[in-house]
Amino acid sequence: MDALLKVNTLSKSFGGLLALKEITLKVEPEQIVGIIGPNGAGKTTFFNCLSCLYHPTGGQIEFKNIPLAARISNIAKKRIRIFALIFLTLGLIRLPLFWSFFLPQTFFKVELFLLGLFVLSIRFMLVRGLLRHEIWAWGLMFIFLLSDLCFAIWFLTHINLSDVLILAHMPLYYLTVPWGVVAGLFSLYFTGVLCTGEVRRIYGFRTSPDAVCRMGIARTFQNIRLFFNLSVLDNVKIGHHGRMHSGLGKTLFRTRFQKEEEASTEKKGLQFLRFVGLEHRAFDLADTLAYGEQRRLEIARALSSGPKLLLLDEPAAGMNARESENLIRLVRKIRENGIAVLIIEHDMKVMMNLADYIYVFDYGRLIAEGTPDAVRENSKVIDAYLGGNSGVC
Amino acid sequence: MALFSKNPRTLFLAVLVLAVILPWIPFGPSSNYLLRVLTTAVLYMILALGLNIVPGFTGLLDLGYVGFYGIGAYTSGLLAIHYDLSLWVILPIAAANGALWGVLLGAPTLRLTGDYFAIVTFGFSELVVLFLRNELWLTRGPMGLPGIPPPSIFGYTLTQGWQYFYLVLFLLLVVLAVVVRLENSRLGRAWFAIREDEIAAQSCGINLIRYKVMAFAASAAIGAMGGAFYAKWFRFIHPDMFKFWESILILCLIVFGGMGSIAGTMLGALILIPLSELLRAVLPQGMFNARYLIYGLLLVVMMRLRPAGLIPFQLSRSRKAEQAKARLLGNEE
Repeated sequence: MDALLKVNTLSKSFGGLLALKEITLKVEPEQIVGIIGPNGAGKTTFFNCLSCLYHPTGGQIEFKNIPLAARISNIAKKRIRIFALIFLTLGLIRLPLFWSFFLPQTFFKVELFLLGLFVLSIRFMLVRGLLRHEIWAWGLMFIFLLSDLCFAIWFLTHINLSDVLILAHMPLYYLTVPWGVVAGLFSLYFTGVLCTGEVRRIYGFRTSPDAVCRMGIARTFQNIRLFFNLSVLDNVKIGHHGRMHSGLGKTLFRTRFQKEEEASTEKKGLQFLRFVGLEHRAFDLADTLAYGEQRRLEIARALSSGPKLLLLDEPAAGMNARESENLIRLVRKIRENGIAVLIIEHDMKVMMNLADYIYVFDYGRLIAEGTPDAVRENSKVIDAYLGGNSGVC
Repeated sequence: MALFSKNPRTLFLAVLVLAVILPWIPFGPSSNYLLRVLTTAVLYMILALGLNIVPGFTGLLDLGYVGFYGIGAYTSGLLAIHYDLSLWVILPIAAANGALWGVLLGAPTLRLTGDYFAIVTFGFSELVVLFLRNELWLTRGPMGLPGIPPPSIFGYTLTQGWQYFYLVLFLLLVVLAVVVRLENSRLGRAWFAIREDEIAAQSCGINLIRYKVMAFAASAAIGAMGGAFYAKWFRFIHPDMFKFWESILILCLIVFGGMGSIAGTMLGALILIPLSELLRAVLPQGMFNARYLIYGLLLVVMMRLRPAGLIPFQLSRSRKAEQAKARLLGNEE
């Protein structure tokens, strides 16, 4: 069977600081995989990359064989650059022709409007992982070509064609009409491609965190992030958001579908709470839960989104021995339900008990991997934790 | 009181019956004036309910709400003057126009966080006023828009104060139904999640931009509907009626009543709006504007004693949870 999650040479840098360097990792379905490492080893950064809160600088993540955060491939980059350059040059060449000879003021306005639109969309495009100069080239191309199209339309509607064709001295700029039609349509097509999902396959645009959750990766946080002013049951219901379908219309008219969905969500929510042992607190505010209960509620919320892979970020932090034993039991139960678990933990007892396979991070690098026993014996791991010779000298 | 707190439906019905018989209680010569005050209060309840969706439910500070109010009022006024449409046509059109501008403003700017977004909305409300003031061909600018025909329902033209009061009461009920339904749904929970923690909300599969824009549009639509009623009721509108201060006033209502709680929002409007009229009667002639001083004082005292408002969000949520408990456990038995 294919691996559920495949991470290939994933890197992430913040400015000059390299937080993750070429991490390669794999999670099989229904496997419990542990990640350990000293503080600042990049474990949480790795989780943030997986849930697409961060955008990796290099490498690939594939979940169920769908790439999550792949960067643009080099070939695609080249293609973008060549297209953009050609059209940018042509656009710039026709610029003096347009503006100095005959351009009515309205077209100047059209171009300015498009420029504004483009400036507004820059941030939007930057997020999607294009480089700045490519965006500029692309955007200017878009502006020039679309205003050419506008001009062509204006020209065709305002000028008597028979007069023009008889003219012996046909001005050069009449050539811009066929050009405008071709260029404008091309520009529209290009932008259409840019905006559709096809592009994600070709250029690897970023997936947003909510889309990742709906695809089946749920997570908990190192510092608890619950919706504290809402009831425990509401927290779990919000977790179920991505699996519900009633929108604005169904809500306003309170259709039968919506009512049934609400009822079934409520029932499922209570089931998830029973699963983590919080059913008796279902109607209290999340604020009033004890620390350990809040941790379990976070797990219940993550589970209610129906994931295939659960990311647990230090679930046993601050728990006593009995609580962490309960946690171990809980995680095993989760796995029995067919969910793979990727877990970051400092508590070695928990980790050695739980994990089928362990990856060890240090300074953003993968220094060791293997079964718990193999990792325990690994000299590099011991060095990283206790400080070996290399650390002292 | 115990009966009411256990069963909010009883309280709601009691208040509704009181409101329905209110116009018929004889107050002597001032009863018309009182009706006007009450109608204003109910109108502001509608507006506060609408605004509540954005800062209260979704947790975004919106200082430009009055812009949508103005858009609704002018849409209604212009449609009534030029096309003489029925009220039942005008109200949805005004609401849709408000929602449209809400989406147009929200979609590009809701990526901004916190204060920056508040500044954008503030700018928007100023823009609306500038537009209304300067585009003479459409709005007659500072001359205002007089002569809006009174609303007629099924061919019967409204003239009396009590008729308007019943109309606004009906609108309030509609808006209340909408807001309550939104609150107890997938949508409302998504908004609360965004308000509580954006990152966690995202990780729960909630598309931030989409739900923020939805909240903004819903709020704008309700505001515009309030404006549409206002134009039909007052029968004269002027750009100065939709200045920034109105936004602040409505924001004060929901802060006073309890941001995010529906009952609190309505209570805030019901207390503060008539209070202004009361102060008009109580304060000496020259000190009329001192009522804003008293408003301010009231808010300061409020923030000190009950910072989350008269009916805090948390309280309303825990009450709601208790109701859910009663309902669910009742089912199981």
